[in-house]
Amino acid sequence: MEYINSKVSGANAVVSKGDAGDSSIIISPQHLKEVCRQLKDGEHEFQVLQVITGTDFLAENLIEVSYILASFTKNSELILKLRLPRGDENNLPKVDSVVEIWKAADFQERECYDMIGVEFLGHPDLQRILCPYDWQGFPLRKDYVTPEKYLDMVINPISKMNIEDREFGAKHAHIKGASTSVDNYKVDPPATVSETETV
Amino acid sequence: MHSLNEEKLKTELLTVNMGPQHPATHGVLRVEIKTDGEIVAQAIPHLGYLHRCMEKHSENLDYRGVIPFCDRMDYLASMSMELGYVLAVEKMLGTEVPRRAQYIRTLVCELQRIASHLMFFGTYAIDLGAFSPFLYAFQDREIILRIFEELSGVRLLYNYIWIGGVWNDINDDQLKRIKEFCITMSESLKKYHSLVGENKIFIERTRSIGVITKDLAFEYGATGPLLRGAGVKWDLRKDRTYSIYNEFDFDIPVGSGEKGTLGDCWDRYYVRMQEMHESIKIIQQCLDGIEEGAIIGKVPKNIKLPKGEIYQRTECPRGELGYHLISDGNKKPYRLKVKSSCFTHVSMLPDIAPGLMIADLVASIGSVDIVLGEVDR
Repeated sequence: MEYINSKVSGANAVVSKGDAGDSSIIISPQHLKEVCRQLKDGEHEFQVLQVITGTDFLAENLIEVSYILASFTKNSELILKLRLPRGDENNLPKVDSVVEIWKAADFQERECYDMIGVEFLGHPDLQRILCPYDWQGFPLRKDYVTPEKYLDMVINPISKMNIEDREFGAKHAHIKGASTSVDNYKVDPPATVSETETV
Repeated sequence: MHSLNEEKLKTELLTVNMGPQHPATHGVLRVEIKTDGEIVAQAIPHLGYLHRCMEKHSENLDYRGVIPFCDRMDYLASMSMELGYVLAVEKMLGTEVPRRAQYIRTLVCELQRIASHLMFFGTYAIDLGAFSPFLYAFQDREIILRIFEELSGVRLLYNYIWIGGVWNDINDDQLKRIKEFCITMSESLKKYHSLVGENKIFIERTRSIGVITKDLAFEYGATGPLLRGAGVKWDLRKDRTYSIYNEFDFDIPVGSGEKGTLGDCWDRYYVRMQEMHESIKIIQQCLDGIEEGAIIGKVPKNIKLPKGEIYQRTECPRGELGYHLISDGNKKPYRLKVKSSCFTHVSMLPDIAPGLMIADLVASIGSVDIVLGEVDR
């Protein structure tokens, strides 16, 4: 953290740590590129960008983008984080792309855009990667609602849903910790199930 | 006059779609190739044909319920997939895993590595036009799958490694069969290598093809046999050891450019063959050291992780697998991101492909050894 602050002025690096697990460093998004270049070329030698993750914090109205870096010569790893305002459909959160620094960022940023909806400025070919190219919405956002139709195809048709599982789950919903409880499914169970549940 | 002729003879690039249903792409990968005659000018991978929303699903499941979803990512190395996730959860929980369970985990993961590399060996030979190695490989893989079937009840998607230990105990008969398998396997591996790896045609097809240099591997974050094939001695089992791998004695095979250039297809093939020998070494040490005892530790019935995050890397047959788990203190993961090595390796295609013949592109994709289930998740 001190290393980042001393090398890049205004990066505002802060260490954050939960109750368990790894700690991470949060920096201000404006200085992402400078910090990354410094981390790659500087004494810490983070040659490899492992992954770019986005996490949606609905309650705090934040999107957290994590860059997980690793060094194979120094045998270390680092979670670098940015916090961006969530924005909406027309005004996606924006951050500089790091494709110039690590080529690995190309696909990782595309996936992050596809799933969470973060726009990476300066990315050579920012389009969806796992979802179809004309998909709407960003699936891993917490307020994402599955559309009913894609082109002419019905999503989650009732004939293909596993009704028995749902009924079983509804029947055993009162058992604490049962992994089959209905709230594990975003789609509502069929109406008949709720009647049997009250019995 | 001269310029007019050139104008008339001008050729255009031809776009060919390789896949999504193509035997050489090992699944449902579509590679859009722009070719100039037989030479590939550009290759653009299109992913997502096997996208099953694993990350979204896991946000709606409790911590135990995620394990079967991990299986389904890399369906040829399910045990290794489970181990990474389970280790991440255990680290957050602070669970202690019994010694016997640790040994069994190491055993099954190394057997899985052999099974997965055998699959590579067989399908890669098919890619290059030899069919019989595939049959040999499957014969041996079958022995491993049979043991796994007895252990977990399933042949491919096991749900065997649980949080805190393993599901089922291993018995003496199975241990004895694994021991016998190790002896026969190391013999037949030498045979296989002399059959395929030293074959003149095979060498001609793979030497100096699809070269991945050390710099390119670092730039893209390639791991596993790709990185070791490029001559970098890096294996998480040794360098950032997890589980009980620090107790075993094994080497990290690296490519040497023996038949052509450093980091070519042959090097990657050879690294995998050597890795199988190392896995056998680990299994034999495991069999000698296995202790009696419990197979599952104390785990709360309702697993709730403390608030925080963790990034756990493990060495899978195809490269490094990372789980980035964010917990908000509830009984479901708040976010589970999977860093899949194959996803990274597919992203290298546009850099490897230009200048190769189409047949060599097949050889390159085969030597990278991708599983589309892991790419798309």
